[in-house]
Amino acid sequence: METVTEIYFVEMLHGLVYGMLLFLVASGFTLVFGLMNVLNLSHTGFYMLGAYLAYSVTVYLDNFWLALIICPIITGIAGLGVEHIFLRKIHSREGAHAAELLLTFGIFYVISELIVMTWGSFELDVPAPEILTGSITFVGITYPVYRFFILAISGAILALMTFVLQKTRTGMMIKAAVSDAKMLDSLGVNVSLVFLGVFGGGSALAGLAGVIAAPFFTAYPSMGLEILIDCFVVVVVGGFGSLMGAFVAALMIGELHSFGVLLFPNIALAFQFLLMAGVLVFKPAGLFGEKNE
Amino acid sequence: MNKIAKLNSILMWCTMILVLIFAPIVLPVFGIEMATEIVIFSLFAISINLLIKYIGLVSFGHAAFFGVGAYIVAIVLKSVAGFPLFGLLLLSIGSAVLLAAIIGFFSVRSSPSYFPLLVLAFQMLLLTIAMKWRSLTGGDDGMPIIRPDFYLPIIGEINLIDSVNMYYLSLVIVIMALFLVYLALKTPLGNAFLCTKINPSRASHLGYNILLIRWIAFVLSGAMAGLAGGLYVIFQEFVATTTMDLHMSFTAFMMVLIGGTAYYLGPVLGVTFYILMTYFLSDITPHWQLYLGVMFIIIVKYSEGGLVGLIEKLRDIFSHTTKEVFNDVNT
Repeated sequence: METVTEIYFVEMLHGLVYGMLLFLVASGFTLVFGLMNVLNLSHTGFYMLGAYLAYSVTVYLDNFWLALIICPIITGIAGLGVEHIFLRKIHSREGAHAAELLLTFGIFYVISELIVMTWGSFELDVPAPEILTGSITFVGITYPVYRFFILAISGAILALMTFVLQKTRTGMMIKAAVSDAKMLDSLGVNVSLVFLGVFGGGSALAGLAGVIAAPFFTAYPSMGLEILIDCFVVVVVGGFGSLMGAFVAALMIGELHSFGVLLFPNIALAFQFLLMAGVLVFKPAGLFGEKNE
Repeated sequence: MNKIAKLNSILMWCTMILVLIFAPIVLPVFGIEMATEIVIFSLFAISINLLIKYIGLVSFGHAAFFGVGAYIVAIVLKSVAGFPLFGLLLLSIGSAVLLAAIIGFFSVRSSPSYFPLLVLAFQMLLLTIAMKWRSLTGGDDGMPIIRPDFYLPIIGEINLIDSVNMYYLSLVIVIMALFLVYLALKTPLGNAFLCTKINPSRASHLGYNILLIRWIAFVLSGAMAGLAGGLYVIFQEFVATTTMDLHMSFTAFMMVLIGGTAYYLGPVLGVTFYILMTYFLSDITPHWQLYLGVMFIIIVKYSEGGLVGLIEKLRDIFSHTTKEVFNDVNT
């Protein structure tokens, strides 16, 4: 017999798991927005691509761990291609904002349709490796191992990202480019290269999130659009271009999701948009927004 | 030369109007329905472009007004039998105006880069309500309606089940609405819109209340979208959450971008292109989204102002060459 506290604790863990996944996807999204002022709608296409690639790799090569390495590399390269071939030329145009939206949405369409053409339009189950199946009992609560694995991996990525951004030269350049790309350019830094790197890195992270999410949520055709909406909310609530903001906001959205469904199942969906509207009305730059335009 | 250009443009407008009037005679039934859809979505797309072109604001959540206009028509038709058609359309405008007034009150305060997402947030809230308040809206299943009849003073009763009548009704209402808004934009108010777009700080130093001007434009644009939604639900004979979801907002926004934002009527081109493409592509291939996506990419890559920009580019090339030919003849 589970007590109420235990149920709440489990819900909290659920929210944490989804929040961390969301953070992996949203971090690239928010950094690209902060850097290039591009709302990259194709971003969650890479998340979806990661999940489907994970299916193929696990089924044909029978190795989930390999998928964890290969898929982010592929989506990362695809992201580099998108930035280099399409976005770069358009970015320098006058009033490029609308064009970029149209372009990235076109790319999202192409990616999702190619996925449907290749893998079909039904849900695909991605089996998790043997070690990660089943559940363990932890302070009196039984919880699936795979979800702990999601927490561990995304925690590790978070730590790595924080380290890179705070302690390395590359991270310094990324942060400088977010706050003033033009100035950085005049100081002699190759800003286009920073853009390219962040775009590729963000796409790789989205792909990784897709791989991790696949055994948990299965791979299905509307997964990209669903998480895109959550990404919007995360980026707005956290503040454009703020990694810290994305982290806090993603966890908030994750918890809102799980507790919303538990306590007010009818209006659960509305909470995150209420939060978003509230933040935009009272603190338009977002909770941790650095740019206040 | 100027006279010829003027004559040309008058001639062009007359041809276009004649084509629109006589289209149903030539077109098969599905063609007429497609034309009706194009007419209705033109109004919706232009409502979005009104904000982009005259105020410099982008809205990602315009389906909120479209959807509210659609739902109010369906709900009233369902509960009050024999409600007059023009009353329904006025209700759809009224509800959208009310909604836009409220959403606008909060959102025009935020900066242009956050504005689109704030409207989106409100739209998603409304969508949740529409999905969950099943007794009123039918939830995810939607709600079928029957196209109402209506009376005109001289002609008598008009039966809207006939798709030709539906086409003419939409055409007349949309052209009237577009013309009225066009006239409104020619007044000093329209100049004030442009002034706040081009140089907000100067406009406010000149004594214009920028927030108020933005709010008025937003409400005007919402009214147009609401009317389009009302017409759309009568045309579709069905209302569902798809009239209000993210896909609807984005489709309309993409139509605007494909057409080009430089002219008042520019989005019409995008709407026509988008609807024709989706019809024909979905006819020949199940993967029409792929080709549509590729077309988006091509349009962006090779033209700066959407299809209108592309046409202007071609015209420039063409007129340039003709000029050269004339020069050759002269010398």
